[in-house]
Amino acid sequence: MPDMTREFLKPHFPWITLVALTIIVGLANPDFLSISGLISLMADVVPLLIMALGMTFAIYIGGIDLSVQQLANMVTVMTTVYLAQYGIGVALLVILAGALFGAVSGFVTTRLYVPSFVSTLAIGFIALSIAKWLSDQRALFMDATLRDIHFGWMFDTTMGVPHELVLGLVLVLLAWFLQTRTSFGRALKAVGSGELAAVASGLDVDRVKILAFCISGMFAACAGLMFSVKLSGGDAQLANGFLLLAIVAVLVGGTPLTGGVGGVINTLIGTLIVMVIRAAMVYLEVDATQQQMVFGIVLIIAIALTIDRSKLRGVVK
Amino acid sequence: MYELRAVDKHFPGVHALQAVDLEVRRGEIVGLVGENGAGKSTLMKVIYGAYQPDGGEIAIDGKTVRFQNPRQAMHHGIGMVFQEQSLIPNLTVMENIYLGFEDRFVQFGVISWRSMAAAAREQLAKVKLDIDPAAITSDLSFAQRQLVELAKVLTLEERIDGDLVILLDEPTSVLAEDEVKLLFRIVRDLTKRASFIFVSHRIDEVLDLSDRIYVMKDGRIVDVVQRDDAEVSVIQRKMVGREIDKEYYREQKQKPYNPAHVLVSFDDVSLPGAYHHISFDLHAGEVLCLVGTEGSGREAILRTVYGLDSCSSGIVTVKGERITRFSAMAGVRRGIGHVPRERKVEGIVNGMNVYENMTLAQLRRFARLGVMNVPEEKRLATRWTERLGIKTPSITKDCGGLSGGNQQKVVLAKWRSGGSDVLLLDHPTRGLDIGAKEDVYEMIREMSADGVGILLVADTLEEAIGLSHTILVLKDGEIQKRFDGTPGSKPSLYDLVHHMI
Repeated sequence: MPDMTREFLKPHFPWITLVALTIIVGLANPDFLSISGLISLMADVVPLLIMALGMTFAIYIGGIDLSVQQLANMVTVMTTVYLAQYGIGVALLVILAGALFGAVSGFVTTRLYVPSFVSTLAIGFIALSIAKWLSDQRALFMDATLRDIHFGWMFDTTMGVPHELVLGLVLVLLAWFLQTRTSFGRALKAVGSGELAAVASGLDVDRVKILAFCISGMFAACAGLMFSVKLSGGDAQLANGFLLLAIVAVLVGGTPLTGGVGGVINTLIGTLIVMVIRAAMVYLEVDATQQQMVFGIVLIIAIALTIDRSKLRGVVK
Repeated sequence: MYELRAVDKHFPGVHALQAVDLEVRRGEIVGLVGENGAGKSTLMKVIYGAYQPDGGEIAIDGKTVRFQNPRQAMHHGIGMVFQEQSLIPNLTVMENIYLGFEDRFVQFGVISWRSMAAAAREQLAKVKLDIDPAAITSDLSFAQRQLVELAKVLTLEERIDGDLVILLDEPTSVLAEDEVKLLFRIVRDLTKRASFIFVSHRIDEVLDLSDRIYVMKDGRIVDVVQRDDAEVSVIQRKMVGREIDKEYYREQKQKPYNPAHVLVSFDDVSLPGAYHHISFDLHAGEVLCLVGTEGSGREAILRTVYGLDSCSSGIVTVKGERITRFSAMAGVRRGIGHVPRERKVEGIVNGMNVYENMTLAQLRRFARLGVMNVPEEKRLATRWTERLGIKTPSITKDCGGLSGGNQQKVVLAKWRSGGSDVLLLDHPTRGLDIGAKEDVYEMIREMSADGVGILLVADTLEEAIGLSHTILVLKDGEIQKRFDGTPGSKPSLYDLVHHMI
């Protein structure tokens, strides 16, 4: 039965894809496999990884968070503007802002019954407006000294390992712990795999969903913060291009839009797949203007391969 | 004229149809009876083309045919009247009748409503239904819609050459007695035009209408009886595979309940549109069964007790505490457990394993500072898996892969292990095989001996009578009659039906 082997292999697709792609790209260009090269590629992809980790929670419950890119934009501006005033405390400020925006998305989705793809899109535009207003629609730059004092540690290395990479892995561990070891994670799984059964078991489904969006917002803020510090500035378009990649990372990693399976480790793999594809396009000299097209196509393929058709209940059939 | 020869159908893990032979002669009404899960619906899907058999053949007038989909089956004269009605409520009657076949009324690209109405009127006349073809379908009564559905299938008569075979899937389940009689009269009349396959779990009705009766059990045809030789008890025994008796419902284990200990009390409770002036007490150790037709308010009462719906007037008391805020969360905290009818959707979480499902309603008990104590969960799951005899290769196995009976045991374990002492059972044996049903009955007896109060909506009336201490018959949201169900003085089927309709 080919169907059954496919079902059996499905959870393994993501890492098989990652290994296969890495080997292919490595054969075509042996430089790709150098340790230092890989580490610097991975360090580059950390802000995307963080954003995708947050997005995983929203997708895991069968929703989506389209506000993450705009939240990150807003955060780059906030970080740049308030760095002088609050120093490292700006991190706390932006993470709280991310949590607040996420919670509002969650509230609008669960209590006002607005589907998450609309509610988060709308909340994203609010964040964008704030970013534009706060930045006066200009690109802002950080004071180099202040940046180095407060956030310089982020880009140091210990034994050749960049701290930002360590930070990214710490956040992966944190998200993984939340997903697999906590009662919130268990409730999240129940909501993602069988929302009606979760309701019938007396779980506070709305609270779980609001928390999921809240976490997504916080991670988006972390991503924006790191990106802003990395580029030493902020503007309302800085993080553009992240949204598509974050969604691709989650879905290619094997968390389907219908939710319930996959999770943060999958997203780690998905992000690495995105990284390899991006590196391959550089080697193959794919024009920068065409890269988004490639990811758009990858996204469609990933959704078609991962989505659980039995959960669509006649929507597509 | 229509024949199935040694038809086989497999699904992963199930041999759903095993060498089924079935024949329908011209102008005949053939009955098909069987328990839930006997394979009736699979067989019907094969007949009307929704499933393709993996073995055997289908023949019409001796010629082998193969249908890829229901539409091809229709072209061979096979029509289906669905149990869950397939009419689209916001379309007119005639639009529904000719849905997908509007071509013949199209002139210059637009539909001629007048000619469609005339044609629809002709179809409606076949089923003796005198309504305006332009009426909106949702305005019709249930029985009228059933007839419209039949009329829709009868349009095949004009569209194809050859004979018609029409499947009726549980057409009487929501009809009142006189409506059933009318439907039967019309069907008998229509045997001039078509043959029928009549599927029902009400043996008396099948006997009344059919010329021959096929009895199914476990994916096989176990017997074919002529109407004149048929006897209800004989057929019933063949369907079930053994005698149905007091033993079956564990009546000897029915202990009197404790009348001094009230767990749930309703005092003149109403919810407009669902039920009115409902009063009852559920005692510790009592099995209280709500009996009525679909929509009589049974489920709504369960939902209110659980907290999924509120009520608009009256007093609901759970364990001495008056309930003012209704929510499922609060219900669970008060020790109420809910075994929903839709086991696969609301009962278990498909995709979570056995221990995760069992502790889902009591996460807080197994979490410290939000971190789950998995070893403790596994210990609980192992204990209950053994105690209830749940057949699963491991407690880390996905619940979606268990059999229906074992899934139901997991749901029951979820509530019992959490210490729920009020259980709401909504069709707890639906779709289970006999052995699993008996296990559930056994558990119900055990729980009530433990002092659990059980509010039951049973799958069949026999089950209601067999299991309960008290029966409340509901009709249109009001309590019609209260029966005492002490063994020896249990009401009869007739007593109940009499007050239901």
